[in-house]
Amino acid sequence: MFSKKISHALVEGDKNFGQISDELLSNVESKPALWWYAGLTLGAIFLAIGGWAFYMTLSQGIGTWGLTNSVAWGWDVINFVWWIGIGHAGTAFTIFFLVFRQKWAGSINRSAEAMTVFAVMCAGLFPLIHMGRPWLAFFIMPYPNTRLLWVNYNSALFWDVLAISTYLIMSVTLWYLGMVPDLATIANRTKNKLRKTIYGIFSLGWNGSLYTYNRYETLLKLLGGLAAPLVISVHTIVSLNFAISVLPGWHATILPPYFFVGAIFSGFAMVLTLMILMRKVFNISDYITPKHLDNIAQVLKYSSLIIALAYATEIFIAWYSGVTYEIYTFFNARATGSFSTAFWIMVFCNAVVPQVFWWEKARKNLLILFAASILINIGMWFERFVILVSSLAEDFLPSSWTPYQPAMVDIGIFVGTFGLFIVGMLLFVRFIPVIAVNEVKPISRIGKNINPKSEKDEL
Amino acid sequence: MSYKHIIGVFDDEALLLKAFRKLKKNGANIKDIYGPFADHDLMKAFAPESRLPYLSFVFAVMTIIGAFGFLYYTAVIDYPLNYSGKPYFSFPSMVVVLFLLTILVTGGLSVVTFLGRTQLFPGKEAKMPDPQAMDNRFYLVLDQNFNPEDIKKWLKESGAEDVLEKEIDF
Repeated sequence: MFSKKISHALVEGDKNFGQISDELLSNVESKPALWWYAGLTLGAIFLAIGGWAFYMTLSQGIGTWGLTNSVAWGWDVINFVWWIGIGHAGTAFTIFFLVFRQKWAGSINRSAEAMTVFAVMCAGLFPLIHMGRPWLAFFIMPYPNTRLLWVNYNSALFWDVLAISTYLIMSVTLWYLGMVPDLATIANRTKNKLRKTIYGIFSLGWNGSLYTYNRYETLLKLLGGLAAPLVISVHTIVSLNFAISVLPGWHATILPPYFFVGAIFSGFAMVLTLMILMRKVFNISDYITPKHLDNIAQVLKYSSLIIALAYATEIFIAWYSGVTYEIYTFFNARATGSFSTAFWIMVFCNAVVPQVFWWEKARKNLLILFAASILINIGMWFERFVILVSSLAEDFLPSSWTPYQPAMVDIGIFVGTFGLFIVGMLLFVRFIPVIAVNEVKPISRIGKNINPKSEKDEL
Repeated sequence: MSYKHIIGVFDDEALLLKAFRKLKKNGANIKDIYGPFADHDLMKAFAPESRLPYLSFVFAVMTIIGAFGFLYYTAVIDYPLNYSGKPYFSFPSMVVVLFLLTILVTGGLSVVTFLGRTQLFPGKEAKMPDPQAMDNRFYLVLDQNFNPEDIKKWLKESGAEDVLEKEIDF
């Protein structure tokens, strides 16, 4: 449809296919470095802290958290929304770029999807333990139970359960199907019998037949098309949990698009953080080129503008509505009152910091990119904090206003999810190629001067 | 019946496409092409478009009807429960559930159909002309043809790195 020439190389250096396999499979085929074990230890320590917090929650109840009667949603829901936002970018990467034929995303989508899978797992943990009795979690599934009851289809909380489980299942499916040819490559290259067997089982007998490839690509496009509205629906439904209620600051129609863009924004920031780290430790800077980082930075810049617009719209509508409570929440509680520090951190990190990417120099500077990506993640955490806590802690009745402090157990659970994420990502980089080898090979010659494909045009 | 297949080995997808077009023009029987990735131009020329999307559409329609029946049965017939005065049959909220269920079930059924049609399953032995087909070479495998010598010549002419004759059991 569009025959615009891609002017820059998507993969740097003049490599043949064998070299590409060698370079991209080196993380799986060689022994891990010291930093890998160090990271795994750190992740395990975090997980242990999380385990303790989890045990405290289960054995003594939600009372161990910092929640109060007014602030019934605290760090648990903040962290849930934060993680699920991060979990957005991976599948957004694959799907939107698949649909729009953005070939440069080929070398990023595998790790972005891995990030999605682990982030959504971390996110899913919070509503689960927030139930208090997670062993009864299956009550939320519509099944003919002993009380003859069905679930409430009108509840946004039920939609959320369905949306997140659907999203997780679809993301894992896309992620796994995408890596089947690479697993087959590993199984064929390895000499180790055990590895051959395990990778062989997971590669489903893939043999690189073009007939299979034809169906496979159709399936991936189909799943991508199916999951694209899902990406939008997940965070939209998360926002409806808030927007359907009547609290000032939550009861707004802008929340669904605002949450969605926020999710893409924070997810891309996390992708940027991970990509900068990965290209350093795995020597894959030929595949994740400065142009890739530049592109991600551009996405961050524009989504930051949308976020800033959403902030401004919220404040304007609060003033324009003339509702005392809305005005209080935005102008007193958030901008100048008890939550002003968090509010201004949020504005600075999300609306101001990414504007640095208007300068090409900043988009090329790894240090600035890395710092900005971390700041954005912090800013997005504070955004959720501001939305949740400021509306709950100071709502209609001043007599029921309560300050909110997280308890040690809250912090422990959050640290635990970092442990889960770190361990998950480290296992991923150890056993699965971090870049989709079969997707990078066909794009490795795009934008090169020596282009054998030019022969194709003569035919 | 086992017989020797002529196999053209290529290390460049552009040359492979050239060879494929030449063979096709001369009416050779091509069995399959094995390689580390699918070149899109080659794939378009080689294989007919997959009909999976049509089947998925059928799955989607069936899921919507089935899920709507389920929601209607549970919320209106089996145990109508008054949630804050909303009607038992509140279609707007059902839309969200229908939407998500349709994606989930259609996606799942499409994957199952794909695995069934391509006969991929865990533990299946991967059969290919050479393990390098997963790494850095393309293998154009021909079926029985009446003019094997011509075919070998054409393959060589269009830049095949090597031309093999090999019995394969798949």
